[in-house]
Amino acid sequence: MIKDITIGQFFPGSSPIHKLDPRAKILILLVYIITLFLVKNFFSLLLLFLFSFICVLISKISAKSVWKSIRALIFIVIFTAVLQIVYNKNGTVLLKPFPQFDFCITSGGVFTAVFLVLRIIALILLSSLLTYTTSPTMLTDAIERLLSPLKLFHIKVHSLAMMMTIALRFIPTLIREIDIIMSAQKARGAKLDAGKFGERIKALISVFVPLFVSSFRRAAELAVAMECRCYTDGANRSRLKVMRFALRDYLAFFICAVIFAGALVVNYVPLCQSLLFERVI
Amino acid sequence: MEQDTLLKFENVSYTYEEEEENNRLAVRNISFEIKKGEFIVVLGHNGSGKSTIAKLSNSIYLPTSGRVLVDGMDTSVEENEIPCRKKIGVVFQNPDNQIVASIVEEDVAFGPENLNLPQKEIRARVDEALKAVGMYEYRLHETHRLSGGQKQRVAIAGIIAMRPAGIVLDEPTAMLDPKGRADILETVHTLNKELGMTVVLITHFMEEALHADRIFVINDAVVERTGTPDEIFSDAAFLETCGLELPDTAKLCLLLKKRGVSLPDRIFTPEALIEELVRQTERA
Ligand SMILES: Nc1ncnc2c1ncn2[C@@H]1O[C@H](COP(=O)(O)OP(=O)(O)OP(=O)(O)O)[C@@H](O)[C@H]1O
Ligand SMILES: [Mg+2]
Repeated sequence: MIKDITIGQFFPGSSPIHKLDPRAKILILLVYIITLFLVKNFFSLLLLFLFSFICVLISKISAKSVWKSIRALIFIVIFTAVLQIVYNKNGTVLLKPFPQFDFCITSGGVFTAVFLVLRIIALILLSSLLTYTTSPTMLTDAIERLLSPLKLFHIKVHSLAMMMTIALRFIPTLIREIDIIMSAQKARGAKLDAGKFGERIKALISVFVPLFVSSFRRAAELAVAMECRCYTDGANRSRLKVMRFALRDYLAFFICAVIFAGALVVNYVPLCQSLLFERVI
Repeated sequence: MEQDTLLKFENVSYTYEEEEENNRLAVRNISFEIKKGEFIVVLGHNGSGKSTIAKLSNSIYLPTSGRVLVDGMDTSVEENEIPCRKKIGVVFQNPDNQIVASIVEEDVAFGPENLNLPQKEIRARVDEALKAVGMYEYRLHETHRLSGGQKQRVAIAGIIAMRPAGIVLDEPTAMLDPKGRADILETVHTLNKELGMTVVLITHFMEEALHADRIFVINDAVVERTGTPDEIFSDAAFLETCGLELPDTAKLCLLLKKRGVSLPDRIFTPEALIEELVRQTERA
């Protein structure tokens, strides 16, 4: 189960999405998320959903990995949907399964449920696409650059970025370590996946204490290894991969701007909505 | 100081802070000199002070007393810290704890990036270093999916991308299987023979010491003896007092001799033993 965690995974490739400047990707994702939450109109949402879906297609990331990232949050998706269907009383009553109770399924509930599910999935798709198509180092480099104005406030942006690089690098290592420690403790009779809640919590402590101890040792060793490679405070570092906005990045900005603006126009201009509704319905 | 000495320890002692009140030295009054291009193997039992020596050699630790000179530069002078680390790279036992980045080539680039080299230069060095350790095809792979031996080769590449004059390897094969160990050993020998890099290999596998130019035997914080593999391995009693064993082939020779097979002294490699036995059977 713990091996299914895919945070920060990267699938090297050469699709146009892979080639985009990571800064462009981050900015686009940010604007996308904001637009996604501003939008209340179904057509706008559909447009945004299609956008992230097409991005996934262009990136050539395997359907399996995409599904994995959705599956990790599927519980939240289902929970939101069920909540809406059960509690939303707007619109016409579609179904009243138990006449003696007040419970009923309404068109408003179903509509909102579908709306929210689409919104969450669109969100997951595009955000996981960012880490899937960007190497962790490039990602943190990009964040460092985007946050570099904060240097004015004496915030050590580089150190933050380096911490993120290392965190992303060590996630798989630590996950494997948790797995090994869990097996070792199970072999000694720790009840990690059975027993009362209290017992399981206690058993988990037996996993996390060794994990912390070994993480501190790792950190100390890594620090020495980094010093051996002439790492100081990171103020004067050059980069293997220089980031420069290229034509394709401007093109991407343009396309996204058009699509996002389109979604917002449909959302906010009543005339558009009525036009669309007349056409479709 | 002559031009051809890369690393020089002058009466170096070192105490860990925690051990100060016990007056225990991790390294006691050590002196030695390593010439450019040499292949040195350092042998010693657990806790004898080998890792401490490795960390003293590039200014990670500063001697409590005495001096360490890297190409003539005193490691305890603050301005020399980075130049010393550029001259002597250190590779440690656990490759997992030396790799900084998630992608092979990005990790190898870490050192050159710290040296603030231009992008083209970094690219050239990364490619060269990865080719030298035979990991070029893996440059875009994720580091955590590599085998232990491959990870260790990436760690070595990360050091040689900084183009040091010498490389100190602290038990680089301790966590590897025989195949991984053989790969690393071959890589290290290539660095020495083809790139002319000075190598200090710290190990407790006697077999790894057979092809060294010189061996340093460390015992309880001092350099007990230095010598060629022939000199060191022909004194089994001495090795035992230092908590070390003979290489397997040498042990086998001793047993054969006990059973009445007449063998010349100083056979330490399986190849030499086979050659000798073949010669004897042919004669008989
Ligand atoms: N961080 C530390 N703090 C205190 N004492 C230490 C520390 N590291 C090592 N020592 C002590 O210093 C001595 C030499 O240790 P060192 O690690 O150099 O030995 P080693 O030869 O590398 O051993 P091994 O073969 O186990 O790696 C040992 O007695 C050890 O207990
Ligand atoms: Mg050691």
